[in-house]
Amino acid sequence: MTGTYRIGRLDDAHVLLTGATGFIGQALLERLLSGHPGTRVTIVVRPRGNGGAADRFRRLLRKDVFRAWREQVGDEAAFAEAERRVTVVEGALDRLEDVEFPGDVDVAIHCASSVSFDPPIDEAFSSNVSGAVALYEKLGEQERPPHIVHISTAYVSSGGQGLVREGRLTHDVDWRRELAQGLAARDDVERASRRPEVLRKALEKAGRDHGKAGPQIAAKDAEEARRAWVEERLVEHGATRAEILGFSDVYTFTKAMSERAVEELWAGRPLSIVRPAIVESALRHPYPGWIDGFKMADPLIIAYGSGLLRDMPGQPDTVMDVVPVDLVVNATLAAAAAPPDEGAEPHYFHVGSGASNPLTLRDLYKHVHSYFRRDPLPESSGRGHVRPPSWTFPGAARVEFALGAGERAANIADKLLGQLPGTERTQEWASRLHKEKRSLETLRKYSDLYGVYTRTAVVYDDRELRALNAALPADRAAEHGFDPAGIDWYTYLEEVHCPKVTAPLRARTGGRRGTRRPNPAALPPGGSPAGGTAGGTAAVFDLDGTIIASDIVESYVWTRLASLPRGRWAPELFDLARNAPRYLLAERRDRGDVMRSFFRRYEGAHVEELRALVAEQVGDALLHRVMPEAVRRIRAHRAAGHRTVLITGSLDLLVEPLRPLFDDIEATHLAERDGVLTGFLRTPPIVGEGRAAWLQSHARERELDLGASYGYADSYSDRPLLEVVGKPHAVNPDTRLFRHAKRRHWQIARWGTHTASRWDALAGTVISHTRPRPVRALPAAGRTASDGEGR
Amino acid sequence: MSRPGFVLEVDERTPPLLVHEGENFRLERLPHGTRVIYPPDSLPGIRDLDGVIRRALLEPHGSEPLPELLFPGMRLTIVFDDLSLPLPPMRRPDVRQRIIEQVLEMAAAKGVDDVELIAANALHRRMTPAELQHVVGDRVFRSFFPQHLTNHDAEDRDNLVHLGDTAEGEEVEINRRAAESDLVVYVNITSTAMSGGPKSVSVGLASYRSIRHHHNVHTLRHSRSFNDPPKSAMHHSYNRMQDLIGGQVKVFTVETTLNNDTFPAATRFLNKREWEWNYGDQAAYLASRRGNSLMTPSMRRRLWHRTEAPYGVTGVNAGAPSEVHPITLRNVHRQQLTEVQGQADVAVYGLPYICPYNVNSVMNPILTMCLGLGYFFNLYLNQPIVREGGVGIFYHPMPNEFHPVHHPSYIDFYEEVLAETTDPAVIEAKFEKQFATDPWYTHLYRKSYAYHGVHPFYMWYWGAHAMQHLGQVIFVGADRSAAARLGVQSASTLNDALQLASQTVGTSPSITYQHMPPLTLASVR
Repeated sequence: MTGTYRIGRLDDAHVLLTGATGFIGQALLERLLSGHPGTRVTIVVRPRGNGGAADRFRRLLRKDVFRAWREQVGDEAAFAEAERRVTVVEGALDRLEDVEFPGDVDVAIHCASSVSFDPPIDEAFSSNVSGAVALYEKLGEQERPPHIVHISTAYVSSGGQGLVREGRLTHDVDWRRELAQGLAARDDVERASRRPEVLRKALEKAGRDHGKAGPQIAAKDAEEARRAWVEERLVEHGATRAEILGFSDVYTFTKAMSERAVEELWAGRPLSIVRPAIVESALRHPYPGWIDGFKMADPLIIAYGSGLLRDMPGQPDTVMDVVPVDLVVNATLAAAAAPPDEGAEPHYFHVGSGASNPLTLRDLYKHVHSYFRRDPLPESSGRGHVRPPSWTFPGAARVEFALGAGERAANIADKLLGQLPGTERTQEWASRLHKEKRSLETLRKYSDLYGVYTRTAVVYDDRELRALNAALPADRAAEHGFDPAGIDWYTYLEEVHCPKVTAPLRARTGGRRGTRRPNPAALPPGGSPAGGTAGGTAAVFDLDGTIIASDIVESYVWTRLASLPRGRWAPELFDLARNAPRYLLAERRDRGDVMRSFFRRYEGAHVEELRALVAEQVGDALLHRVMPEAVRRIRAHRAAGHRTVLITGSLDLLVEPLRPLFDDIEATHLAERDGVLTGFLRTPPIVGEGRAAWLQSHARERELDLGASYGYADSYSDRPLLEVVGKPHAVNPDTRLFRHAKRRHWQIARWGTHTASRWDALAGTVISHTRPRPVRALPAAGRTASDGEGR
Repeated sequence: MSRPGFVLEVDERTPPLLVHEGENFRLERLPHGTRVIYPPDSLPGIRDLDGVIRRALLEPHGSEPLPELLFPGMRLTIVFDDLSLPLPPMRRPDVRQRIIEQVLEMAAAKGVDDVELIAANALHRRMTPAELQHVVGDRVFRSFFPQHLTNHDAEDRDNLVHLGDTAEGEEVEINRRAAESDLVVYVNITSTAMSGGPKSVSVGLASYRSIRHHHNVHTLRHSRSFNDPPKSAMHHSYNRMQDLIGGQVKVFTVETTLNNDTFPAATRFLNKREWEWNYGDQAAYLASRRGNSLMTPSMRRRLWHRTEAPYGVTGVNAGAPSEVHPITLRNVHRQQLTEVQGQADVAVYGLPYICPYNVNSVMNPILTMCLGLGYFFNLYLNQPIVREGGVGIFYHPMPNEFHPVHHPSYIDFYEEVLAETTDPAVIEAKFEKQFATDPWYTHLYRKSYAYHGVHPFYMWYWGAHAMQHLGQVIFVGADRSAAARLGVQSASTLNDALQLASQTVGTSPSITYQHMPPLTLASVR
């Protein structure tokens, strides 16, 4: 038993439209302008950015949806007609108090809503419920109540099984209470996030992950983590509240609440509720395949075509209730033209295909698979095309298990990789893992998000809709009809929809790009501070790992061995090996501590003799370990007029051989007494954030423009340094810096092609040198402050 | 009397012949009809070397005996050839040590106490203390190093003297200590016909300002060959400079020549003609090949660079440079010269692991090029062994390897200059000055152990004559990308190389293989 509908004409009506910039809203506006020449339209547009609502409207008219109409009547005429017939009301739906509404609205179509499935609960309520309530209260002030067409979603009734009839929802949830609680949730969560236990945890994690880069960076990260936690909790609030009330997600939950609100607020007045299912690209109007951005199923299609979705947790026989947008528009306008009688029950319509022309998940998969088989997407790497995955529909539990196991494995691998040194191979692993994780994340996201749609056993009945369609006058049925039985899925999916949604992707990845390398010689000249108003350009280099392949321990070994007769090398090396674990542990904790304890080994060395030792032998070893590309780069900067700066934790005496390359050197200075080193640092070591701070103050002194300057470093601990320059480069980065650089699109360089190995450096210099320097350069073997006296 | 050099024509009875390729070598079956140039057998070394040295110092050519040139209170400077000679280094005691010790004894006997020893390394890298010690011996090293045994520093402006310009306008600038000495004793090893004589002081103790007048593209294209001094524009320039120096500085030169005992007993087969290998030689060949393949490149390099040659000395002559050098050249020819009739379409050379500029170092692609197209190609008198427009085929793996300390400017030359052009004249005009005066290279040359910034350019110029003469250059077994960077072709086998060559010289070219090392100087009629 269905209702009987009389469809009038909208030609002389005044239609108020919300959400006109959205997907369905645009299509509705276009249809009203192109198909209902007498209709006046008022649109409510939220001012956004620097342009006002009128600006947004003009931009809207230039969009693809109006193209066919503009071409038909001519650009100028189209714009003029739109200006004449459309009134733009500027205002946000949740703040309508001071907004002037026209008093003669005949039909109000409310299709503004948030279409995100997993927003934080307060945002979901604010856009889906508060907005609707405010709008209807405002419209309630009008003398003659307009006919309200409320656009909802078929999935408001997604729980349960079997056929769902078009009618009032059966739940008894108090929408006012839910609205108030939903909006208040943010305050609660914000308060909770500030509890010391939560903050301590965030700080600890940030310390573990970013401590190497310095406390400020770790703190910043902890605060970011707290904010992210708040968002996550609010999403969680929404999801669980929806679930406990029997809704699939917060979107359908809030849409259901807003239906209840409008039923209550508009009781006794004309109301139609239109519930579209999964709205996709246009079948015919304004042109086949028209779509605005990616809609519900499209990310799935794209992800599938990109090879990221290897299987789906859905049931193959689930009905995928897809409906082209022009059918939704036609149905909405037909409903708008067929108001219920005064005092009668509201009209409800399901706009979908599930009942009369069902498309199962397996059908959808087959069409999409066959489309991508025929016309695969290009690989983003430029290496051929993606092979579309074959789905086996193993069932939700197995997909979930595989997914969970994959995620755990990836997390463990990720942790392990973070501990490994940054070689080319580990970076390749990191890249592969990154890709794998992305694939898993995509799968997880879609599995969670669309799970309800692909697992649901519900079919949305559409007999009211068919009755409405049947009521269309025969002369308008062809153009304004909305019978889903008329959709040929093969044509629609494989020839219209898929080509349209993949087109931007094909345009973007057409051909292999990005193989162009920046010419290393082409450095823009850096003006000297004396010359212009802008500051000079600097090129800042870290030493160990960036310019030379060695570290403070290796240079100590050279110094040590060069100063000792061969007979005493073994005890020295043994002592160093014995202490190695201590240094390594300290390195994990704090680089500054390592330096403090390691440089104690230089206690008692005679400065002048050390200097001579460096000039004769140690400097030679150092130059063996230099990366020629680094030197070329430094020299290129000099040639371009840039100021070259070296920041290093190495001893100032030991970097002497590189002095001619740099304008400024900031190295570690050891305190001395009567020409003998005490083993204590003269100033705190310049590591981590200290480097960034030093550079900033140095830049002020020397009038350097850090934004135009270059930075080169190899370790995650140099992240603060690299972040203060405009052109950061990660050179032979460790795994963490590599990841960070990838994310930030920093330049990554691999240097050291012709660098001599550790052994060659030692064998070619210290070992082959004829005689050691006098032993006084360094004191007795292996004495350090902590164990020196007891030996 | 040793057997003279000869030219073998390959036929069906000829065994595969040894070809050097870097730190390795192979036995290659050459096409029938290929002519192979062998040097004379190694000459016997002088038995009583110390006696012959003493006699040379006491009975010099064109000069008073050395003791008569020495007097108390004089400034005596002993200059000696650096580590670029001989190749491979000579087994201890080096002949230079034996000469220097006798000169020092004579000086001590005459009460000379202002004595300096200087390695004539020109723009080469400094010799390390160990390398100096190897050349001068422990006794001399202990007494003079480091204050009075030094490397020449061509960038120490305070210690260079501009002696004047030649009639051709060539500036002559040499080491101040040598120039202001009462006597310079130059201790030399002439291992090829290009070295020694006028080259010793005018190049070995000079600066870039002076050296650029003969080490340039124009001169090298007109030195045909530079191992034939009368036909070498380079040597004409040396002569003019030496004349100017001779007028102001008293030089007493001691020149020596070596025989062809280039390889030690374990690899004796490398000194022998293939059909005369005995079982021991064949076993040694197989063992060396096997050993080579088991080692990493750097182990292999270290091992080969530790090789010292058991050279015999074939002549020691002292006195005035102009009088001594012709005798020395005759000795070189006696050991190295082989008569060859006519030129071939294709010349084949096997390049060994060492050249003058990679002793205890890495043979980089630029040095490989220099060794092949510079040194080996120019080991001829009268005319090259290959006709103009012919093809040069060289064997060398040419790995893209550089020594970061010894050859820093080479790396940049390879990455920046050769990436743009390989034309020597363009390179000279556009880049030479920039590299030659670069303060960082200068710093490394003076304070570290780097070749001078301009040195890779000279390496490239050495090949300028061959690049002009040859129609095609192919490296067998070379790294493809390195060969491409140098502007030459690479082939994986000799057959492929001949296939490539056929576009220039047809399918049945005449081929000459100059069998080296030991060194062979081809006199082509």
